[in-house]
Amino acid sequence: MEIRRESIWNDVFETYLSVNFELVKHLKRRRLPIVAALAVIVPLIFYVKVPDTADVFAATVLSFVNILIVVSAAMFAGDAVCGEFEKKTSLLLFPTPQRRSTIFAGKYIAALLATFLVVLLYYLTMTLQTAQLYGWGEIPAELGKSFLTALIYSAAAVSVVYFFSALLKRSITSTIVGFLFLMMILQVVAMVLMLVHQEPWFIVTYSANLITDVLGVLSSLPFGPGEEEHAWVLMFSPDFGVGIAVMVAYAIVGFVTGMAMGIRRED
Amino acid sequence: MEYAIRTENLVKKYGKDFAALDGVSLRIEKGQVVGYVGPNGAGKTTTIKILTGLIKPSSGHAYVNGIDVTANARKALRTIGALIEVPGVYDYLTPHEMLTYFGKVYRMSSAEIDHRIKETLELVRLSDWEHKKMGTFSTGMLRRLTIAKALLHRPDNLILDEPVLGLDPEGIRDVRELIRQFRSEGMTVFLSSHLLGEVAEVCNTVIFLNKGKVISSDSMEGIGRSLELGVVNVKFLKSLSREEIEKLRAIELVRSVDVNDRTARLHYDGKPESSVQILRRLVSSNFEVVSYNVESAGLEDYYVSVMSDEKGAN
Repeated sequence: MEIRRESIWNDVFETYLSVNFELVKHLKRRRLPIVAALAVIVPLIFYVKVPDTADVFAATVLSFVNILIVVSAAMFAGDAVCGEFEKKTSLLLFPTPQRRSTIFAGKYIAALLATFLVVLLYYLTMTLQTAQLYGWGEIPAELGKSFLTALIYSAAAVSVVYFFSALLKRSITSTIVGFLFLMMILQVVAMVLMLVHQEPWFIVTYSANLITDVLGVLSSLPFGPGEEEHAWVLMFSPDFGVGIAVMVAYAIVGFVTGMAMGIRRED
Repeated sequence: MEYAIRTENLVKKYGKDFAALDGVSLRIEKGQVVGYVGPNGAGKTTTIKILTGLIKPSSGHAYVNGIDVTANARKALRTIGALIEVPGVYDYLTPHEMLTYFGKVYRMSSAEIDHRIKETLELVRLSDWEHKKMGTFSTGMLRRLTIAKALLHRPDNLILDEPVLGLDPEGIRDVRELIRQFRSEGMTVFLSSHLLGEVAEVCNTVIFLNKGKVISSDSMEGIGRSLELGVVNVKFLKSLSREEIEKLRAIELVRSVDVNDRTARLHYDGKPESSVQILRRLVSSNFEVVSYNVESAGLEDYYVSVMSDEKGAN
């Protein structure tokens, strides 16, 4: 019992060390400051055209948070596993008295925390903007729900990129593939499914629409000239419970499979 | 007896047919500096990766200070400092930042970490670079830094895999001096290399590996003895007269003599005692001896003979 407790304590401590080290690395590589700066600057762009109501303003600003989350996930998790093998820092890091599972868990948590921080900054900036433009009383009541949904989507996005980082050999490849998977491939699949009148409930990027949908303003906005011809895009809106469940599933599966592959990797 | 490093029938297979290691059993006593020698692809790095927990053996066991590396890696690796192949470093960090992290991994206190960082960086002559980004370091500096990392927690055992690979002569000399220092401090060093000169200079035992199998193992003294060719080279002050040559041939332990002006090659049975006897006879017979050297082959010759025996056996 005592040995088991000591082992758990060791795991927790090593994971904590790994998280700290990864966060220092994100800072030193200037990734965290750059993405954090984006999180503050991007909402400012929306001063260009200010809508009449706070709800619409918040929904418009938040429609870009998905992109920021994917960028963050790609930046912080893209080289989480393969980076150590590719640059041979694994030969320094692994022959030490710490389990690989704690190292890789630390890397995942650090990527998650960095993305959470970026999302938090984005929401904070947007909230301050809304308060400044419309007054504190006009801040949408469902903003907290939207924020929590964004955090859950962040976990899913980080897990997806983390999975590719464990699957592929080169950091640049896993970063690009992870980014394109979330930004393009899943979006295209969702659109094709909607074209044939199937709800893409299992596509995590479709579930991410909840971030703005919870504000009562549909985010599944059509693109291209004229909304009428593209009305099919508006046919579906994710169910809150199902959407959250899908995001959580992506987060867990991506993390667990990525960890398993990283631990078994031998090169 | 508890060995510093011990392996039992280590086997590492890749796919169905290829065995990188095929039943390697090693016994390395504490305080020894052991050379692990073999051609490229012999299985040296595979052995080291198993010893340091980087890969798992297909079968067999590896122990460090009696602790099974596969079963209890965390405990076993606490006593090891390792430099494997040419590791990468985090270019954007400073040695202080990187070593601080590893110090914490080894559960050292902050004061101890700071003290050891200074101590190890001084040892590898990088004190002035403690707070400079590693991206600006030369190959030799990086290699010395990774040795500092391996030494940070005062390990009992140091495992070095090709530590001078890619280094310039000055860098090679530095690393060699460091290993000599570790040897004098009583540290166990397991040195994998295909550079025989390096091994001959710093090791007291050599293990030869080929195609995943240990084919020979001996102390440097033992190897030295077997390398003696049964010939002594004697240099005299003056050219030898016919009479003196006959006196040389008359020495009972000498089998034959080749004379060339002031030098002579005396063939004998190769035993050290016989060599001593011959020298005594030369002196007692009033030969003016300037130098007296037992001729021996180098470690390279021994390596070639061991490897060719292996080929013959196959």
